[in-house]
Amino acid sequence: MTLPRWRFLNLQALLLGVGFLLLVGISAATVYLVERSASDNKQLSDTLHVEDKLSDVQLTLRRAESSQRGYLLTNDPTYLEDFRDAEPEVRDTIGEIRELAETSATRRSTIDHVDRLVTAKFREMQRIIDLNEKGQRPEALRQVREGQGRRIMVELREVIEQAIEQESNLAEVRAQASRNTSTLLLIVSLCGAALIVGVGALSVLLVQRNYRRAEAARGELAATNANLERIVAYRTEDLTEANEEIQRFAYIVSHDLRSPLVNIMGFTSELETLRQDIFSEIGQLRAQIVELHGAAQTAEEEASVERLGAEFDEAIGFIKTSIGNMDRLINAVLKLSREGRRQFHPENVDMDALMASLIATVSHRAVELQATLRVEDLPSVETDPLAAQQIFSNLIDNALKYGRDDEKLQIEIRGRLTATHAIYEVQDNGRGIDRADFQRVFELFRRAGRQDRPGEGIGLAHVRALVRRLGGTMGLTSELGKGSTFTVTLPRRWSVANRSAA
Amino acid sequence: MNSRMSELPVEIVMIEDDEGHARLIEKNIRRAGVNNPITPFKNGTDGVNYLFGADGSGLASKGKPLLVLLDLNLPDMTGVEILGRVKSNEHLKRVPVVVLTTTDDALEIQRCYDLGCNVYITKPVNYDSFANAIRQLGLFFSVIQVPSPD
Repeated sequence: MTLPRWRFLNLQALLLGVGFLLLVGISAATVYLVERSASDNKQLSDTLHVEDKLSDVQLTLRRAESSQRGYLLTNDPTYLEDFRDAEPEVRDTIGEIRELAETSATRRSTIDHVDRLVTAKFREMQRIIDLNEKGQRPEALRQVREGQGRRIMVELREVIEQAIEQESNLAEVRAQASRNTSTLLLIVSLCGAALIVGVGALSVLLVQRNYRRAEAARGELAATNANLERIVAYRTEDLTEANEEIQRFAYIVSHDLRSPLVNIMGFTSELETLRQDIFSEIGQLRAQIVELHGAAQTAEEEASVERLGAEFDEAIGFIKTSIGNMDRLINAVLKLSREGRRQFHPENVDMDALMASLIATVSHRAVELQATLRVEDLPSVETDPLAAQQIFSNLIDNALKYGRDDEKLQIEIRGRLTATHAIYEVQDNGRGIDRADFQRVFELFRRAGRQDRPGEGIGLAHVRALVRRLGGTMGLTSELGKGSTFTVTLPRRWSVANRSAA
Repeated sequence: MNSRMSELPVEIVMIEDDEGHARLIEKNIRRAGVNNPITPFKNGTDGVNYLFGADGSGLASKGKPLLVLLDLNLPDMTGVEILGRVKSNEHLKRVPVVVLTTTDDALEIQRCYDLGCNVYITKPVNYDSFANAIRQLGLFFSVIQVPSPD
């Protein structure tokens, strides 16, 4: 099971190679053996053929002899017909045997011997026929009786019988060889088949083992994936919870901070009221002193009382201004945390209509500032309409707020689509933002550049928080003194996951 | 502020954990010329004990003309809980309850009116507005009629 992958592949290749070699070997052996079997069979059939032909020769010669004897008995030349046919017939047969005997020296010598005897026999028979035809019948019969012809025939029979016996032995050997070859062929084929089946089985085993391993690995991967998803879901839940906790915290803290603020503000005002009483009391006391001790030092003391009053007022003034600031900040945090807790209601938002209504609300200010606003066709997007309105209202507000003194303000709003997102750009030719402040402008209560416009440093922080909660991203490119472009990228389709990314 | 039938002056029960707020409220109510007795409580438990009595039945307050001035953010319980108990008690349900708190959450306001609160006022941080609001509340106290105790 722990076979490394490269080893498995090598083994697989090796098995394939072995299987292939076996196939080649078996094929070669089979071809060779089949060839051998064919040649064995040919030789066997040659042997039988030779036997056959030799018998033919003997038979034809006997017929020729009978034909000659018939003539001698009857003196009727028609008996000689068979005799005359026999000679060319025997020659043909001998020629055929010669062809078959080409490869064998024994056969050649046998056929030569047979040939000689046949020639001698025909010459002897022809001579006797010639004598008879010339009318020397007694001489002819004497020569027959003398038995030369019979001796030749006996010798021929012996030669042929011997040859046939030899051929029979040979045939036996050939047949045995053929049988052996066939057996060998069978054995080789069976062995080859068995080997191939073996290799195949081994291969199947290996593949199966590999498949099981792959299956196990796949199972492990699936388990890991499931685990990963669980971890991601768990983390997301954690994050959402932490986020909600922060929202709650911000809400409670800002809320609870207001209570002491009410006291500070209230008692400061009470002090202010008391001041009137205290100073009028002092005035009365002084009047009594003047009455008792005369008007000496009065002017100096009056000045000192006035100074005390001014200092008192200054202190109270600072306290009240600070409380006012603190109240605004707390309200801002409260508003942000409240926004953060708002449930979104996504719908298909017609951005052209939304932008038109936004522009209408600022048109008065735009005319005052002599600013031009240009809006291109904007793609619609599935998102929360109120959030989208707040985002672009803040961006347009900012653009109008931070213009340049030396140039008329121009604001351009563009939009385009990608496969998954809608991208909107709000570009102005205003004062721009220093690269070092790109992050800072999005932070709560932080502002950048010349602080000559009223503001809490909340707008862009709010915008970025909203865009993030909508599942989008916020971008900024800007050059100081030339203008800024704020880019809002929102997902085209709303998904539940958007909220958890808040 | 009097109840129609009895000659007893209406008692203002103020449940407010912040002593400063309590003091400022009292000052401004007095400035509006309201001289009714004010009984302050610094936490919910004491206030509830006073209103409902030791047995918690509310019988203790039977026959007393009351008006409750209630803060929602209390250390030991929420004002909403007290409001709910007052408005569901047989003897106290007709007692006017004025919620005076820093919370301006729309949902919270809605919940208080659902429970039967009679007036809901958010404390302004700006003291002039605060003083003004309390003074007007005082003026309101001087003219409203509280139901007669049975």
